[in-house]
Amino acid sequence: MHRVFQFSSSASLEKLTGRRAHNLEELLEIVKSSPDSSIFFHTFSAFRKMSQVHVPYTTDFAAWISTHLDEAALAEKLMAIDLSEYSTIESLRSRLVEIVEGYRSENPAIFQKTANEPFYLYDVVRLVYLTDKFAYDLSSFRQLVDTVSIDSLYYHFIESRLHTKLETDDFSNWIEENDQHRDLAERIRSLDINIYTLEELRTKIIQLIDDHLENHRNNESKAD
Amino acid sequence: MSIPKLSDYKAVVGRDVVEELYILASHVGNRSIKMVNSTAVGGGVAEMLHRVVPLLNELGIATTWDVIKGGADFFDITKAFHNALQGKEGHFGEEVFKTYLAYNEMNYHELEFEEDLIVIHDPQPAAMIHWKKNRKNRWVWRCHIDMSHPNQQLWEFLRPYVEQYDGAIFSSPLFSPELNITQYRFYPSIDPLADKNRDLEAAYVEGVLEKYEIPTDKPIITQISRYDPWKDPVGVIEAFKMARKYVDCRLLMVGDKAADDPEAEEILAKVNDAAGDDPDIKIIFLLNSIPTEINAFQRASDVVLQKSLREGFALTVSEALWKHRPVIGGAVGGIPAQIIHGYTGMLVHSVEGASLQIRTLLKQPELAKRLGDNGHQRVKDEFLITKLLKRYLLLLVALDHPGQPTILME
Repeated sequence: MHRVFQFSSSASLEKLTGRRAHNLEELLEIVKSSPDSSIFFHTFSAFRKMSQVHVPYTTDFAAWISTHLDEAALAEKLMAIDLSEYSTIESLRSRLVEIVEGYRSENPAIFQKTANEPFYLYDVVRLVYLTDKFAYDLSSFRQLVDTVSIDSLYYHFIESRLHTKLETDDFSNWIEENDQHRDLAERIRSLDINIYTLEELRTKIIQLIDDHLENHRNNESKAD
Repeated sequence: MSIPKLSDYKAVVGRDVVEELYILASHVGNRSIKMVNSTAVGGGVAEMLHRVVPLLNELGIATTWDVIKGGADFFDITKAFHNALQGKEGHFGEEVFKTYLAYNEMNYHELEFEEDLIVIHDPQPAAMIHWKKNRKNRWVWRCHIDMSHPNQQLWEFLRPYVEQYDGAIFSSPLFSPELNITQYRFYPSIDPLADKNRDLEAAYVEGVLEKYEIPTDKPIITQISRYDPWKDPVGVIEAFKMARKYVDCRLLMVGDKAADDPEAEEILAKVNDAAGDDPDIKIIFLLNSIPTEINAFQRASDVVLQKSLREGFALTVSEALWKHRPVIGGAVGGIPAQIIHGYTGMLVHSVEGASLQIRTLLKQPELAKRLGDNGHQRVKDEFLITKLLKRYLLLLVALDHPGQPTILME
């Protein structure tokens, strides 16, 4: 028996902070001192930028470092961060600082190189709100995952990890409440959020649920 | 065609997007907005307000729109302000400021400001806030122009008025000056159901090409832009001529010129000179463009160029991307926000770069299609009017919770 899952959603309004970085030293200072909401916005930017198409850079930091400073190696290091491993902004920020400072110790001169365009720091105001979509069991949940907005999907599968400081997403968290579905929850939790678009994640989740439900049906008919 | 309803947008942006707007609006509740600008017709701001105001009302946000009044002297001044705020040098006498303030005061007394949120568009009515004492509602200044390098004398005059607002909205961090109030970013947007962007019958597109005597025997490269040096029309012709050595094609240039631009005739002459008597180059000069014809030109194009050297936001890029066209854009102003190089179009920095990308896109139709499709998706995610509606809903809530990074709506 599942408790009812009410889908939430979120939306963000971007704020211009007036802060900008012209080189890596200034970017490092920004990463160290900007609000959590700014770090979150710039790190998870790719999900919001293109919901259905792969973009070359998963974070704004990497995009700027590669495009405007021509430091592809550092951009790659930042993009390789496994976002699912960080359940707080502080831990994510520390990892960003660690990578950039590590790069500085190997390439100190590069830190003074001026970018051809500055990095503009944004902040966001986030609104989190309930929707009128309710799932009562795995089947109704599957139907709703297929039709809820991309913002709702983003909230439950990406954003809530940091919101709830859990190293998991809302979906697998809810699914595993039912012992029969623990393996499905594990498979959903294992989806690599670093390499898929939101729409691809939606398709993957639905496919995993469909496979799981079909296996259940097959097992039940064998038992009969 | 009748004015589209919000439900009509489901077919183009998706049912989930429209439903999400209604859900968000239900949390925002019964709120009201007044928009104020300086003209009811002409220009991008009025065009946008004509669509946004009824759609916000459909979402349950009681939204009205007032237009300030003024004599020719006022609008001469505000035109000069507009240019100066975009960087044009010059000096303004005290009388100019007095006249500007007198009209703002007059308009303030003629209008009422009882709504929850007052959105003042652009510099013309910006000082009205000065006369509103002990206000309980929120006022926001929406600046649609590039203020990154404003005329300092004018900015020192206007800034104390702007800083009385609860917030300001700019289209990009590239365009915003330093201010001590909260600044929000609202990307400009296009209306997918407007005549300039809605689907057209193939026969209509063919009819427009016939009307303007544009043959369809070769691929068509198009730039639709005002004849202005910053749009680099001569550079477009040079890029086309370089590319045509490798791939047969036609160039279509469509544009008008600003009525108050004394350099326009000179630029058009330069464009005609650069084109010479080349039969593959068609130059169309429009006094009053018809939106569905602009739409048809874009849809008939194999590649769309926006080879600007300096730009505002350049929504012409979003218009072309929405129609799945592969776009080559100059890497300036708001164009890189719309074009992710190699993914949603191509960014260029030179005539040679533009020429190479024309060749690439005409020779690699699969790549051109992919860029066009990705570009359509980018516009769908970020630059449609439905996103603008969402931003206004969010703004209503955000202004009630200053300094709060996350707002949980019960």
